[in-house]
Amino acid sequence: MSDKTLKFTLNGEPMEIAVSPSDMLVDVLRDRLELIGTKKGCGKGECGACTVIMDGEAVNSCLVPAMKAMGATVETIEGIGSPEKFHPVQETFMDLGAIQCGFCTPGMIMSSKALLDKTTSPTSKEIKKVLAGNICRCTGYVKIEEAVLAAAEKMREKQ
Amino acid sequence: MKDYNVIGHSVRRLDAVEKATGTAGFTSDMKLPGMLYGKVLRSPHAHARILSIDTSEAENLPGVKAVATYKNTPRELFNTSATMTFTVPPLKPVLDQYIFDNVVRYVGDEVAAVAAASEKIAEAALKLIKVEYELLPAVFDPLEAMTPEAPVIHESHKKNIPGGEVIQIPYGDAEKGFAESDLVIEKSFKVPVQKQAQMETQAAVAQVGLDGKITVWSTTQTPHPTKMILAKIFSVPESKVRVLNPPYIGGGFGVRIGLSAKAEPIAVALSMLSKRPVKVVYTRKEDFIASDTRHAGYVTVKLGAKKDGAFHGFYVKAILNGGAYCSFSCETPGVLGCMALAVYRIPNQLYYGHSVYTNTTPSGAMRGFGNPQAMYPIESVVDMMAEQLGMDPLELRLKNIMQVGDPWALPYKCSSTGLAECIEKGARSIGWEKRGKLNQPGAKKLRGIGVGVGTHCSNAWPWCGDYSNAYITVQQDGSIHLATGVPDMGTGTSTSLPQLAAEVMGVRLDQVSITFADTQSTPFDIGSHASRTLYAAGTAVVAATRDARRQVLEYAGDLLKVPPERLELQNSVIYIAGQAVGDDCAGSGVCQVGESERKSISLKELAYTAHLRNKQFIGIGRIVPENAPPWHAHFAEVEVDTELCQVRVIKIAAVHDVGKAINPMIVEGQIEGGVLMGIGYALSEEIKYDEKGKQLQDSFHKYMLATADDAPEIDIMIVESNDPTGPFGAKGVGETGLVPTAAAIANAVYDATGIRFTEIPLNEERVYQALKEISK
Repeated sequence: MSDKTLKFTLNGEPMEIAVSPSDMLVDVLRDRLELIGTKKGCGKGECGACTVIMDGEAVNSCLVPAMKAMGATVETIEGIGSPEKFHPVQETFMDLGAIQCGFCTPGMIMSSKALLDKTTSPTSKEIKKVLAGNICRCTGYVKIEEAVLAAAEKMREKQ
Repeated sequence: MKDYNVIGHSVRRLDAVEKATGTAGFTSDMKLPGMLYGKVLRSPHAHARILSIDTSEAENLPGVKAVATYKNTPRELFNTSATMTFTVPPLKPVLDQYIFDNVVRYVGDEVAAVAAASEKIAEAALKLIKVEYELLPAVFDPLEAMTPEAPVIHESHKKNIPGGEVIQIPYGDAEKGFAESDLVIEKSFKVPVQKQAQMETQAAVAQVGLDGKITVWSTTQTPHPTKMILAKIFSVPESKVRVLNPPYIGGGFGVRIGLSAKAEPIAVALSMLSKRPVKVVYTRKEDFIASDTRHAGYVTVKLGAKKDGAFHGFYVKAILNGGAYCSFSCETPGVLGCMALAVYRIPNQLYYGHSVYTNTTPSGAMRGFGNPQAMYPIESVVDMMAEQLGMDPLELRLKNIMQVGDPWALPYKCSSTGLAECIEKGARSIGWEKRGKLNQPGAKKLRGIGVGVGTHCSNAWPWCGDYSNAYITVQQDGSIHLATGVPDMGTGTSTSLPQLAAEVMGVRLDQVSITFADTQSTPFDIGSHASRTLYAAGTAVVAATRDARRQVLEYAGDLLKVPPERLELQNSVIYIAGQAVGDDCAGSGVCQVGESERKSISLKELAYTAHLRNKQFIGIGRIVPENAPPWHAHFAEVEVDTELCQVRVIKIAAVHDVGKAINPMIVEGQIEGGVLMGIGYALSEEIKYDEKGKQLQDSFHKYMLATADDAPEIDIMIVESNDPTGPFGAKGVGETGLVPTAAAIANAVYDATGIRFTEIPLNEERVYQALKEISK
């Protein structure tokens, strides 16, 4: 299969790259664009480590054929905050002990951000439902849920 | 209690920014110039001899740079676990594996590997390798594997017992104890295969220089022992092998104490053959089927007690499924036995246990290391004993638990215990008084409450070699650099060890940086296992920092013209005890009497002054740890849906005597994670095999681990008994969260249903069968 040109918006910047139609988005992000913050934990959409936000929805980028991102807006962990200005959910993950080995963290944060982009008043139940697709083997999810609730509160204060 | 400046505080992890922004380095993220991708061909058979193997077509595929098999790789026997490097005579490590062999012993065993320009090409090349197998008889159950007619899995281990090692721990006279008991209860249990399922699969990147030096970035929990194993396999001096984490690992839980399955030697072999860097990252399926699991097995508990509830006789027998290769199969039954005998003060005890080779995925180390396999059965039997004696289960436990200074079977002292306090606090949190009174007659959803208690170790000494070293160098600006050989697999080492250094030195945490998990830039350390990292490596860090601090104060004493004993060092300033801090000496006592020209000097100025006089302060810590028992009590409230046959955990109260919490937030995280993994062990996690030895659970979807949606309320409480042997009183906490969880849940299920399950996990199938049985 010959390569096709994929055009999309990546972390706010226009991006154009030649990809094979069989390439998955996660591999284009990690191997081609060297955005290694997006992790690959299973390659089958079962662990959520590769979660990115595409057109406002959290998706497993290992299940998304790269060409599906044509014209889409994609956000990865690299695009949502930095030490100059962290995203509130990054802040609360760091401060409330929601990070241990860190391998699930980017995916967790992206799933959480996608939720908080839609509502800044999520219930515990909603948070658990959303994060049930992101496996973390280090924490008991307790501090992760607390961090999402605290980030929501921060975002409400700013509104 | 003493107030500390840095330890005892829940400071933000030092690796938090990197991990929250996606910039933290993991092995699976690495890319080197010219790097190739390695893929492994694995056996489809549980036991077979390779009659022929033809790699020519694979070698001719464009992009393929090397194909490795048993024919062109070292024939040096090894053990993937670090036991190869720290087994103390007279015991000998069991060496039973090659990188590739001409016999395969489980489904997933390594047959060959390919290095190619891309993963896709490497995968395509695997399909071109032609292997002819002669199938051999296979056995999957440890009890069957012990029968005379069972196939021999390793020629040098005729009875299928790895190393022939049978562990017996006698203490008093168990038979006499049972004869003198008023009540004796015996029960047998079956425990399942659990998988670590750490988020980052086994991975290694190897670069073999043309000068023969070998560098390996990998997911190992023990870089220094892994260096030793690789040097042995490839017959090179250890000084020419560098093993490091880059610097993070996506979890461990025991699965890579030693090699990361075989990722490191396969990557090195391919790199030697191709003369290019090679990256090997296991797929999730490979990680499930071809990387160590927890030992499954059969555990029998016999407990004798006097009428008043005093335990008097105790026997535990464990036959564990070791899988196809030894790994930690000699050590696990030993630790199982030691932990089994350590919780209760019983004058007459006997433990008997060993592993058995079978044609299943090798069993190795997993969080708890035999202890959960012991405590689910033991705590079940203790509850049965309480019921038969008509005693409250807590009262029975409080009457029998080990106390400080009690004699016991372990090779170190019971130096501290806060278990009674753990039990009391947990009982309050769960509402113990509700036990047995939660259900209305005829209810379809039954609630129950249960308890499980236990202990663990804080390192592996004296069962195995265990020592730590650390360097502290005071930089020329007075900031502190710490070098330690342990990794940070998520447990917070790279934060809590600097906390210890900052506290001892008398500087702020932001003045300390750490280099870790690199054999070339850190001194030898056994690594992260056995709940040892903070306790043992932390003891070395404290020793190294004290050494550096002593040098600093001696040097400052010369400058300030006072004996060093009179100097303090706080907040990076050295000052004369009792005097106000400040450069200006006017008005201070020491200046008036003319004994000093200054009353203080900053560490920054001192370090630079020393530098200009050609001196650096370098502290060295070299320690052999003692050992100490952490204690814990878990209380579970469960709901059993008798129609859906589902067990749901409503709440876990987990109370842990950790000695001293150096970073309470990290300690809580360790316990919470352990609790959730314990819930999985109790209710859903299990790898089973079909009749041909194929693993039925080889992915996250099939292997049911607990997700956020399954997480119950978890109430963590920390008890600090300030152990006399640990750094600032700390003991191990990495494994304990998992140890008594299944026990507490199984006892809660009994409280809810009256069914005493002797096999876990308590999944729908088992609950359905049991409910059907009692309704007959």
